[in-house]
Formats: sequence, structure tokens, C-alpha cells
Amino acid sequence: MQIFEYNGSAVVAMVGKNCFAIASDRRLGVQLQTIATDFQRISKIHDHLFIGLSGLATDVQTLYQRLVFRHKLYQLREERDMKPETFASLVSAILYEKRFGPYLCQPVIAGLGDDNKPFICTMDSIGAKELAKDFVVSGTASESLYGACEAMFKPDMEAEELFETISQALLSSVDRDCLSGWGGHVYVVTPNEIKEKILKGRMD
Amino acid sequence: MKLDTSGFETSMPVIGFGSNSEMLDGVSSVPSFDLPRTTDFDGFQKKSVEMVKPAKGTTTLAFIFKEGVMVAADSRASMGGYISSQSVKKIIEINPYMLGSMAGGSADCQFWHRNLGIKCRLHELANKRRISVSGASKLLANMLYSYRGMGLSVGTMIAGWDETGPGLYYVDNEGGRLKGDRFSVGSGSPYAYGVLDSGYKFDMSIEEASELARRSIYHATFRDGASGGVASVYHVGPQGWTKLSGDDVGELHYHYYPVAPATAEHVMEEAA
Repeated sequence: MQIFEYNGSAVVAMVGKNCFAIASDRRLGVQLQTIATDFQRISKIHDHLFIGLSGLATDVQTLYQRLVFRHKLYQLREERDMKPETFASLVSAILYEKRFGPYLCQPVIAGLGDDNKPFICTMDSIGAKELAKDFVVSGTASESLYGACEAMFKPDMEAEELFETISQALLSSVDRDCLSGWGGHVYVVTPNEIKEKILKGRMD
Repeated sequence: MKLDTSGFETSMPVIGFGSNSEMLDGVSSVPSFDLPRTTDFDGFQKKSVEMVKPAKGTTTLAFIFKEGVMVAADSRASMGGYISSQSVKKIIEINPYMLGSMAGGSADCQFWHRNLGIKCRLHELANKRRISVSGASKLLANMLYSYRGMGLSVGTMIAGWDETGPGLYYVDNEGGRLKGDRFSVGSGSPYAYGVLDSGYKFDMSIEEASELARRSIYHATFRDGASGGVASVYHVGPQGWTKLSGDDVGELHYHYYPVAPATAEHVMEEAA
């Protein structure tokens, strides 16, 4: 199997009305064997910025640690949080540094920028940014996720409806993928609060 | 190169003068398989073997106990990482008293089991008695042996009840045939064996045995990515087989491990 399919993953982010949602599956596997069903793929950088990493699990963890380090340095120097657009550029630069021996992950970045305008983007493993206005996906279930999101997405959804939509899209897509699933983890972020929910999914 | 097709020929004597008996048409004239016309036959063979290699992504199991044979399987078909179906019938009904389980290439298993069913029926008509499980599995094993190395992918268990009582044989595409009383085949088999071996007793009732079979399949679908869908359980007794249950594995998980209601993090208490 390909190296990107070694651990299995599914990450999706969607834009709503002054809010965004980011969701991932919870499986950690070694090819077909499931090792854990509570693996963290989405991490908070600051209250209005989240990053979800799909791909090889060891690179997911290492890259996350490097990014948190860089953001903390930024906070010390600039005395403020990073904007999502700036963070996306930082991730892209860090990934391209390893152009000839890359981190085997595909990040999904979601945040609230100036005026609480939601921002999402995804990247390939060497830092090619892809901005979108509606949704971004990555992982082994990405093809199913594209289909499900395309069908279910509506612009300007409120937080509740956005949560329902992203959960349905994630669960129905991972049900078509052997390597991801075993539950779901959703964050819905509005300017005032972060709601974190665990989804009950098929455990097969 | 002509393949050995003696496995296709029936043991029935030719009826009448000519060889054009309507009854035998379509059976004794079953053709030998055409071989591909390529310049690189060995390379082509190798590629077609590689094509089915990722197969056997499944979990099937069968065991003999006091009341007969229990056969169980999942229902997922996967193509690499993609789930192509969650509702595949992996337990094939060869005849009313014999079941075959399917692991490996679906096309291979479906064809050869149906072919075995035909041969069993012809045996009954020729000999006026049912074929034994031992005989049926031998027929299948010999047919598969003659196609050894050609890339068939079949890992099947033949379970049935004949005059000697319950019978269970494992037959695979290498031509191997093993008699036994507990088998599990497929990528999820190590997980199923763990549960099956620790819970097995010969003196079980039908309910206990079917629960053991269902649990073993469930545990295999939890750990193995290539198994899932519906856990079907069949029982073969002296009167033939019956399907006992077909439970969706997603729901079985929450039946075995219900989600505990969340405890409140901060509880408001009366001020003293």
C-alpha cells in the first residue's frame, strides 16, 4: 500500500456564516489493523485557528509540534496571535523546506481572520496552497469526502446546521473507506466559543 | 497448452448412442478456459496473480460443536482501500445441507461453488444418494489443484451434515484440503481466532454457539479494516442449514459496549 495510506485518515473543514467547522476521523491503524480509536488529528493553534493533519501519523505529530513551537515564538515577538492567512504561509514554507524529503502529511487549516471572516485552506505534502470558499478535504477518504461535501454543502450556514452537515458528510464518507473512521471528532468555532463534539460512528 | 479439465467431466455414463444428449449439454461440454494470446504469457500470469493478491480481505469462520456446524462471515468487499460493498453474501448455499464460505476473489468463489453444486447434484442423480461433505470438498480441491499457480484466489470452508454427522473442510486455491473442527479464513481471521478459541466448548447450545460466532466476527470487524458490514450466522444441523441472524456490526458495537452517559463536569450543589 502507498505510504499515505499506511495509517489512514480523513479530515474536512467547512465554512459557515461567521463560523467554521473542522472534523476528522479517530482511527490510527497500521495498514489494515486498527491500533487506536482515539487518535487526535486536529489541533488548536490558538482560539481562532485550528489545523488538521492527515497522512503518516508520525509526521502528523512531529509537524504539529514544530508548528506550535513556531507560533509560540511569533506570539512572544509580536505579542499577538497569528492570522490564519499568515499561518498558512508559514506551513507552506515549512513544508517546502523539506521539498526533497517531505513530511508525508496533508494539512487542512481553518481559522477566523479579520472581522471574524472564516478562512480555510488545504495543502499537498510539499506546500501547495489551495484556498477555497466552501470546503476542503484531505486523507484516504478524500474522494468520497469531495462527493459528500459537494452534495451537502450550502453557503452561509449557522453553527448548528454546519455541525450537522459536516458530521453527515464525514460519517458517510468514512463508511466507504476501509482505512478511516471508527468515530469522528468535530470542532465548530464561532467568534465567541469553540464547541468540540465526538461523533458516534460505525466501528468497522 | 491444454488445461486438465477432467474435473469438469462427470462420472455419468453417456446415455444412448450419440453424444448429443440434451441432459448433458452445457455440462459435459463445459469448455476449457481460453488461454490469453500474449507474447509474454508468464508476465501476464504474474500480473493477474498480483491483481487478486490484495484480496482475502474478509473474515469467515466455522466450527463444529455438539449440535452441528456453525458458519459465520462478515459482508464487506474492498478494493484496496475503497469499500465497494457492505452487503456481499459470503456464505454460499451449495445445496440444502451444505454451505460454502467465501474468502478471496468473489468471482472465483461464486463460480467454483456453483460448479461444485452442479457436480454434487449430478452425483446425487448418478448414485441415488447425497454426496458426503468429504467427497464434495475433495471434488472442489481437485478442481482447484488443476488450476494451481494460475492466480485463482479461493479460501473456502465447506460445512455440511452427512451420514457420518457434521463435517467441516478447509479448501484453498493452492489445492490444500484440511479436515478440522475450527477454522477461520481471511485478513480478519487472527482476531476472530482469538475470540473463538478462548470461548469454544464442544458442549454448547445453539444460542451460545451463535453468540460466540457473532462475537468473533464482530471483534474481527472492529480490528480489521477490510472486514465489516453485517455479521451473518448460519447453523447446519441434521435437517440442513438455517440462517440464524444477520446483525449490522455498527449496531453490535454499541450493543456490546454501550456509550456511558456523560457525567457532568460541574455539578451545582446546594450552598451549605
